[in-house]
Amino acid sequence: MQVHKEAIDKVPNSLPNRSNIEIEIYGMEGIPPNDAKEHERQRNGGRPGSPSSGEDEPVRKKAKPEGLLGSAPGAMPTGSNMMPGVMPGMAAHPGMPPMGSFPPPMHHMMGPMGPVGPPFMGPGMMPGMAGMPPGIQQPVSGASIPPTRPLFPSAAAVSTATSTAVSSPLGTDFKPITSVAGGSIGPVKPTFPAYSNADSNTTTNNNIGSDQKVNLIATTSAAIKIIHPPEDLSLEEIRARLPKYQRRQTQETRTVQTADASQQAAVLQQQQQQQQQQQQQQAAAANAAAAFQDQQQRQQAALNALQQQQQQRFQRPPQAVMVPASAAMPVSSVALMAPLMRPTMTLAAPALIHGGNMMRPPPMGLPPGKSL
Amino acid sequence: MESRTEFKIKSPPTDAVSAVEFGPNSTQFLLVSSWDSTVRLYDIHANTMRLKYNHDLPVLDVAFQDAVHAYSGGLGNTLKMYDINSNSESIMGTHDKPIRKIEYCAAVNAILTGGWDAAVKLWDPRTPTCVGSYLQPDVVLALSVCGDKFVVGTAKRKVCIWDLRNMAGMFQRRESSLKYQTRCIKGFPNEQGYVLSSIEGRVAVEYLDTTPEAQKKKYAFKCHRIKENNVEHIYPVNAISFHSTYNTFATGGSDGYVNIWDGFNKKRLCQFHRYNAGVAALSFSHDGSVLAIGVSYLNEAEIPPGGNDEREIYIRYVNDQETKPK
Repeated sequence: MQVHKEAIDKVPNSLPNRSNIEIEIYGMEGIPPNDAKEHERQRNGGRPGSPSSGEDEPVRKKAKPEGLLGSAPGAMPTGSNMMPGVMPGMAAHPGMPPMGSFPPPMHHMMGPMGPVGPPFMGPGMMPGMAGMPPGIQQPVSGASIPPTRPLFPSAAAVSTATSTAVSSPLGTDFKPITSVAGGSIGPVKPTFPAYSNADSNTTTNNNIGSDQKVNLIATTSAAIKIIHPPEDLSLEEIRARLPKYQRRQTQETRTVQTADASQQAAVLQQQQQQQQQQQQQQAAAANAAAAFQDQQQRQQAALNALQQQQQQRFQRPPQAVMVPASAAMPVSSVALMAPLMRPTMTLAAPALIHGGNMMRPPPMGLPPGKSL
Repeated sequence: MESRTEFKIKSPPTDAVSAVEFGPNSTQFLLVSSWDSTVRLYDIHANTMRLKYNHDLPVLDVAFQDAVHAYSGGLGNTLKMYDINSNSESIMGTHDKPIRKIEYCAAVNAILTGGWDAAVKLWDPRTPTCVGSYLQPDVVLALSVCGDKFVVGTAKRKVCIWDLRNMAGMFQRRESSLKYQTRCIKGFPNEQGYVLSSIEGRVAVEYLDTTPEAQKKKYAFKCHRIKENNVEHIYPVNAISFHSTYNTFATGGSDGYVNIWDGFNKKRLCQFHRYNAGVAALSFSHDGSVLAIGVSYLNEAEIPPGGNDEREIYIRYVNDQETKPK
């Protein structure tokens, strides 16, 4: 074959399986039967995404809004691909007016869509657009926001966040803000407590007890690796669970006590006892780990551990004697912080019981695996 | 002795470094908080440790109020004030959960603390009391003062901006423009915006002004990534510190590198050699002539890189070539 007086044996710059120069296609004629069949197969619900189906994608998308007008918001994020896709939606538009409640939700819709629409949508599109979501739109206006968010994060942020209220008074200069800030904060206030309540509830859930709720960090592909533990907690929160940061406090307290009271022997003995106790704790933790999957069982295990510790405390009165000594510590905050620190619980029984729910099993579950 | 550009501090903490901070008006003194539950003050001119005080549990952050007052807090929930002159400590108060970040705010002469109890608290150094507690949407992971505002980064990628002149409500509420957990936030010295880093080797430069012209300038870039055997390893960007006069900034990552960036011209100015563990903390001195680099493994990976568990503080004298916009 010759093009511009040069002989070529394949289509330059083509996909590997499309380089054949023998095939001549004109309109719909001349398509090799195999490819035509494959195309039909994919149109009829075959898997998309196979490499050869690249050209067929738009066709499939067009088909979707036709069939599923009601649930079409799912197709909204496809941006420019919308153009052909929406056409059928416009065709459906004449049928819309019978819906009595149509105009109000449309107004609603214009809010979030406002910044988004104009750049690539003709004015004629709007009715078609608004026509699609009313079904979902009416109950909760916020419900329509999530699907749009990934595509236009900045726009979504503007529309959802309170910054719309803030941005108008905000000039290029910062000075005027003070005067308006009070006003702009008005709308912030009511939304914030609601948000924060919900959020803080979830965080407490995350932090206490149920670690299954902690989100995981999503890794997108095998070719990249985020060097971070899988849980979506900060490195400090994860590190703080290490047993040594629970244990250390007691040991240091003890050493301080030695310095103060110069009772080396007693302390040594105590450290031994403490080690014993830790071993027992670890045993309890092992129990806990065994029953880890089941929340109820976990709680029970924690209870068991509690009981064990209590029994132990009664067996060893000397340790209780040491309690006043801890007051001699330079740091007088012990009492304040007691509920959160597991080690001190061996000293103060009420704190132990009080802080019962703070003793989430995970740190206890860790030692068997990670202890040195 | 200042002929050497970089040296290690003697008698470093015995566990990971959580924060380093230079004094407000001298390059001589450096505060270091650590997971070994201590706060240490070093004289870097003489390379000696001047003093050390203890918390009951690991200390996560430390801040200078002025040359002689330090504030520290951590897993023990307690905020301590330490008077360096009199070697005395006092307890300011507590959070309900560990204190993650401490900042001194010169604009209102107050201490700000952010904790895992989702609260930011404001403390008056003159009457050692908490003068305000402000609920944030989630666990506080990052906090930075930016003029008379401050920026809070919480879990779930929330960013809240508060105006210290009007604390009745939040000034702005945003979502991080990065897709992954917020790791560190630092306000520009020129108070126009802030830099936010995430655990996924990425840094965003953001502006407080919400007008479209100002927002157009914001951007984000990738960094602290190393390609090994065709797998790209992406590291958390743990620390950011600004050069106070050039408005350039250094970032430190768990990859063990420190990079210095010119945020306005979108240029990297330099990269130091690789340290033996991740860079956990950074601090420029007030005049930008010295950079303190806290190096520690923070359990990012199953095994420390190279099996090392180095805990060191490096002092590096930087020059204009490394820090000044070109």
